[in-house]
Amino acid sequence: MPVFILIPLFPLLGVLLNGLVGIRYFSKRLTNVVAAGSVALSFLAATASFLGFLRSGGPALTKSLYTWIPGGLVRLAGGGAAAPSIELAFRYDSLAGVMALVVTGVGLLIHIYSIGYMAQDPGYVRYFAYLNLFTFAMLILVLAANLPVMFIGWEGVGLCSYLLIGFWFDRDSAADAGKKAFLMNRVGDFGFLLAMGLLLSSLGTLDTAAISAAVQGGGLSSAAATAAALLLFLGACGKSAQIPLYTWLPDAMEGPTPVSALIHAATMVTAGVYLVARMHALFSFSGTALTVVALVGAVTAVYAASLALVQHDIKRVLAYSTISQLGLMFVGLGVGAFAAGIFHLMTHAFFKGLLFLAAGSVIHALSGEQDMRKMGNLRGHLPRTYAVFLAGALAMAGIPGLSGFFSKDEILASAFASGKYGIWGLGILGAAMTAFYMFRLIFLTFFGPERLTPEARRHLHESPGIMVIPLQVLAVLAVIAGYVGLPHVLGGGAWFSRFIESSTGPHEVHLAAATEVLLMAISAGAALAGLVAAYFVYVLKGGAPARRLAERFRLAYRVLLNKYYVDSFYGQAIAGGALLAGRVLSWFDDRVIDGLVNGSAACVRHVSAVSEAFDSGVVDGAVNGVGFVHRRLSSGLTRLQSGYVYNYALSIVLGIVVLISIFVTVF
Amino acid sequence: MIAQAIFYFFGGLAVICSVLVITQRNAMRSVLYLAFTVLSIAGVFFTLQAEYLGAIQILVYGGGIVVLYIFVIIIVNLKEMTPERRKLLPRIFSLVMPALLLVQILLVLFRNRTAPPPGAEPGLEFPAFAEMLLTTYFIPFEIASVLLLAVLVGAIIIARRTVLHDSH
Amino acid sequence: MIPINAVFGLGLVVFFIGLFGVLFRKNLVIMLMSLELLLNGVNVILAGLSYHLKSPRGSIFAIFVILMAVAEAAVGFALVLACFRQKQTYDVDELRDLRG
Repeated sequence: MPVFILIPLFPLLGVLLNGLVGIRYFSKRLTNVVAAGSVALSFLAATASFLGFLRSGGPALTKSLYTWIPGGLVRLAGGGAAAPSIELAFRYDSLAGVMALVVTGVGLLIHIYSIGYMAQDPGYVRYFAYLNLFTFAMLILVLAANLPVMFIGWEGVGLCSYLLIGFWFDRDSAADAGKKAFLMNRVGDFGFLLAMGLLLSSLGTLDTAAISAAVQGGGLSSAAATAAALLLFLGACGKSAQIPLYTWLPDAMEGPTPVSALIHAATMVTAGVYLVARMHALFSFSGTALTVVALVGAVTAVYAASLALVQHDIKRVLAYSTISQLGLMFVGLGVGAFAAGIFHLMTHAFFKGLLFLAAGSVIHALSGEQDMRKMGNLRGHLPRTYAVFLAGALAMAGIPGLSGFFSKDEILASAFASGKYGIWGLGILGAAMTAFYMFRLIFLTFFGPERLTPEARRHLHESPGIMVIPLQVLAVLAVIAGYVGLPHVLGGGAWFSRFIESSTGPHEVHLAAATEVLLMAISAGAALAGLVAAYFVYVLKGGAPARRLAERFRLAYRVLLNKYYVDSFYGQAIAGGALLAGRVLSWFDDRVIDGLVNGSAACVRHVSAVSEAFDSGVVDGAVNGVGFVHRRLSSGLTRLQSGYVYNYALSIVLGIVVLISIFVTVF
Repeated sequence: MIAQAIFYFFGGLAVICSVLVITQRNAMRSVLYLAFTVLSIAGVFFTLQAEYLGAIQILVYGGGIVVLYIFVIIIVNLKEMTPERRKLLPRIFSLVMPALLLVQILLVLFRNRTAPPPGAEPGLEFPAFAEMLLTTYFIPFEIASVLLLAVLVGAIIIARRTVLHDSH
Repeated sequence: MIPINAVFGLGLVVFFIGLFGVLFRKNLVIMLMSLELLLNGVNVILAGLSYHLKSPRGSIFAIFVILMAVAEAAVGFALVLACFRQKQTYDVDELRDLRG
């Protein structure tokens, strides 16, 4: 039994223990040990598998646990051959290995942080059970060898994000946010399911390696490949919050901050990126799909960055920032540099997770305040938090030397090299905006005049060690992680990219060394420009130029504040449409029922009216006679409608007797 | 031989219990006998080699509907009703009608019947059953599930109290 | 082999017992229970036909009958509850509001 099978097993044990037994019987300490311990064991298993994989230099390991749907049971439409069996199988290759390390590693740090952050919460055990369940589902997703098993993990993380976003479910806004996330994910899942159906009927298999081999061997028409790729991308958009399925992520900040760190920065939203990278052969085969991916990614990156510029809530800035960075990852994938996209995924997990946790630390220190307009000058009061936050912000903005710079730059260089200059331009714009809003956040929070409420001022305190230490570990990672992917131009061996490419296929970047250095300088320059601009506006001028701009372009400012009115559009168009359909149907139902109920009386009435009109010319006596007959008839008929259920039952039996008689005599 | 004996056993049990169902004054006792009736009929199904049907009968009828009845009786707090007699004429009708129906049914049942050719139908094994359910009768299956959904919503709406003020 | 007449007989007996239950009792809940007996009688006949014709169609139909029984029981109960709240009685003869 290869070691990597153990990786998802430990969190599963954690959930079962904490969820079934711990709710009742465990002390807080035992819950901590079970929850964090299971993730720690998982991390050890991931590390062991990784080292083993490195040593064997080897091919991917596959292990099937159980034949889920035996082959031949389902026949494909069109009289084709029977479908092959679908196994509950897992695969470990370089891509899966890296993802497993990121998920378990960052997950472990966040579990430890949560021990401090959620210490006072009554739903303590439930929280850790959900967190373990999420880790389990995410690991199933990344280790899956075929699409149905991946879909199990996919749905699982969607469910867990619903449970965790709506963790404080007695708050209406939190419950609504959870529902919104789940429903939007569902739209994406629809695309995933359709893609699975398409691939199964065209290629006859859903195993990821088999699909890649079949596509590269020319087994799929271009149209079908494009369709399948775009449908999968729809699923990825739902999970990774790209246009048009992104509005759930900012609302998802209703959940506890460690949840935002784990699910919405480091792991779950990256599932979409992982999916596209895993199916790289399919996407590479269809140029259209790749272009769509890159375009959507680039537009989303700039769009979300523009929204981050005006947010007041510290977590929402980070939420839009996540959407923007995910867009950048998709840009990387869309220009064929799958390894670069994954590289950015990893560095982003470190610094974005760090930023969210550090933000949590700030919020915790201010007893729950999240509005940046009520912060300021926290640098002296929260020195350790400030230090790690600064590290994260520098990495995020792409300042040279830190991890974010290397990963971001690799993506941009690949974009430029593949000739997509427009996308490269959008990327540079995004980088500048990223630096700007990131440092706007830093300056508003940690510098400047103090704008705290007296309540917050009184309780101001640095976070406990158990929360700070994971932050510091992440900060170190955010700084140094970039060096595993150091490009050739700067003297490194680009080990990370080559490692990942063993799973995603080689990708050559043909750029002269000088061009590459020039591009690096431009992106570094953009980042520094953003930083300097933020410094200028928010520190030197105390925010005045921003306010003046908002005054001058009041309409644009309002549009940004209202998130381009997308949310209200969705609410009215989609929810409103469903309500309208319901109303139409109910109107129809009323009419039909009323029609039937009144039908008999109306028929009788019409009949008598018609015959009365018809006979009124004849003889008065005849007319009266007809009316009289009708009245007697209808009064007789209404006596049938006695209201007694008993009479109706007898009539039913009588009716059956009559019907059977007819049936018997006719046949 | 044995199968016949078991069939008669369960069949007789079913008849006795069903008579007991309709003759009790106490509703709770009726439900109890209904449960026995349902289980006996499930036994009959098993002897008729319709195992799946028997299992569904136990699960759905026994585990669902009977329990539902019990809950309703408890909620409504059903006490015994005093006069359970109607006037004479309706009761005569209630005897005559079913008798007529019985005569007709027997007439239909005992006409000449032609057996279908052997091998025209798949056997009674479970895979054949499942295949037929999910291919030939697939659409009724799906419609039934939609119907159950509609019933779920409808029943809740009918049974709720009219004034709702959530204190959230 | 179980004789088909025996199965028909059993089914018919249960069916008619249920029919008498519906026609002769005034207690609403017991009437509903007798309805279930009707449906069970029908199911017995269907299962018997299935057995003799060696076809699964009969028991498939019986499954659908059970499904419909569930649906009808659920709605029936909801109505019983609503009725009871309005009128405080479960005498079926008291339910006369839908007169012509």
